[in-house]
Amino acid sequence: MDFKSDGFMYALGFLVVAFVVAQSVFFLVRAWKRAKALGIDTSSLKKTVSSSALFTVAPALAILATVLTLSGALGLVLPWIRLTVIGAITYEVPAAEAAIDAFGSAAGLSQEVTDPEMFSTVAWVMTLGSIMPLILVPFLLKKIQKGMSKAVAKNGKWADVMSAAAFIGLIAAFIGRAIAGKGEESIIGDGAGVMSLCALVSSMIFMLILQSIANRFNIKWLQPFAMPFSMLLAMGVVMILSQVLPPDIALFEWRG
Amino acid sequence: MKERTYESGVHFYGILWDIAALLLFLMLPVAICLHLGVWPEARYVFEGLLPVALLFYPTSVIEVFTYTPLLGAGGTYLSFVTGNITNLKLPCGLNAMENAGVRANSEEGEVISTIAIATSSIVTTLIIAVGVVAFSPVLPYLTDDSSVFAPAFDQVVPALFGALGISYFMKHWKLAFVPIAAIVILLLFNGTLSTGVLIPVGVVISMLSAHLMYKKGWVGQ
Repeated sequence: MDFKSDGFMYALGFLVVAFVVAQSVFFLVRAWKRAKALGIDTSSLKKTVSSSALFTVAPALAILATVLTLSGALGLVLPWIRLTVIGAITYEVPAAEAAIDAFGSAAGLSQEVTDPEMFSTVAWVMTLGSIMPLILVPFLLKKIQKGMSKAVAKNGKWADVMSAAAFIGLIAAFIGRAIAGKGEESIIGDGAGVMSLCALVSSMIFMLILQSIANRFNIKWLQPFAMPFSMLLAMGVVMILSQVLPPDIALFEWRG
Repeated sequence: MKERTYESGVHFYGILWDIAALLLFLMLPVAICLHLGVWPEARYVFEGLLPVALLFYPTSVIEVFTYTPLLGAGGTYLSFVTGNITNLKLPCGLNAMENAGVRANSEEGEVISTIAIATSSIVTTLIIAVGVVAFSPVLPYLTDDSSVFAPAFDQVVPALFGALGISYFMKHWKLAFVPIAAIVILLLFNGTLSTGVLIPVGVVISMLSAHLMYKKGWVGQ
């Protein structure tokens, strides 16, 4: 049996899953109790849970796709573990490539890793490269929050504007990439182009339509689902357009 | 003994879980090495780690400073363990606070964001686990480059931030113009800049311009 996907590796995978779920449930239960004490009603908490769950489905499937992309070289289990904790494609792929590079192999992730030493090196590099936030958070979090609450107490309106501005700055980075970002020459779908703009614009339009329907007809349940629905509908538009448009238009990426 | 407040409890348990996570994650490569009976040469690990660490250690410092105020305390302890912050946990928390009509820097915002991020972590973990175990034989066909779904998965991020962005822009259109224009101009000069670079730049530019607009009395009145 392949050492990358044997029973022992799966056991490690399930251990990590159990840990993450336990931590999340722990915080969820505490926050829920606190929310009740603060007088937030149960129906709005339930809505938060259901809309967050729905919202998560499409990005989670995209993460699953990353696991599969990496599984060709590393087997299913190590990418599964890595993408369940801390992992994100932007980090895991370069980390795995760098580790394989250290062995002088130019093939990188395009070839299956069959040498146990190379495999364990990849596991070490992916782990050591990603744990920094876990070391920083205990030291920094309280200090950052203290600074924040001081600013809020001093000038609430200013703090509200600044917090909206921070969100918008973050969102602008992603919107900017969808409009003018460059991808890898050889990869289709990663640079700004017809498809990224279609996804961006159609999800904006769906969001406006769904929100105004929810407001005009006073459909309360629709409000929290407007965003996940818009996202999924926009992905549907991309899927349809990529089938019906001629490939030169559908796959056109102006920045490569 | 004085009873722990919710807030101090979040930090106390958050740090405990954080340390437990750190130990668990470090134990994983140790377990793999013991199981396989091989230990990699230190120089390979260092050679592989060096380029990664040069890029990601400074980024993680910036990430902690940028995301912590947006995620809240509970959300931060959870998000930095489970990852996928920008593409999942952060937008999920923002969406939930927006829907519940609570402010990010209030205690209501803190609990709503924690509930949203915890839910998202559980759902993500279960989807990936179920996907890996049950659907591994068929999944390659779904995500393969030739599948009809592949173009849609390539565009998850623009679809997500379009929907999230528009509700912010409608409310704060004055704040949105400068950062978006600045990011697009930056990308016209260097199109390969990653979101890891663009996010801190976008946040700083956006906050600076918002501060100036506030001083001028254009916003926040």
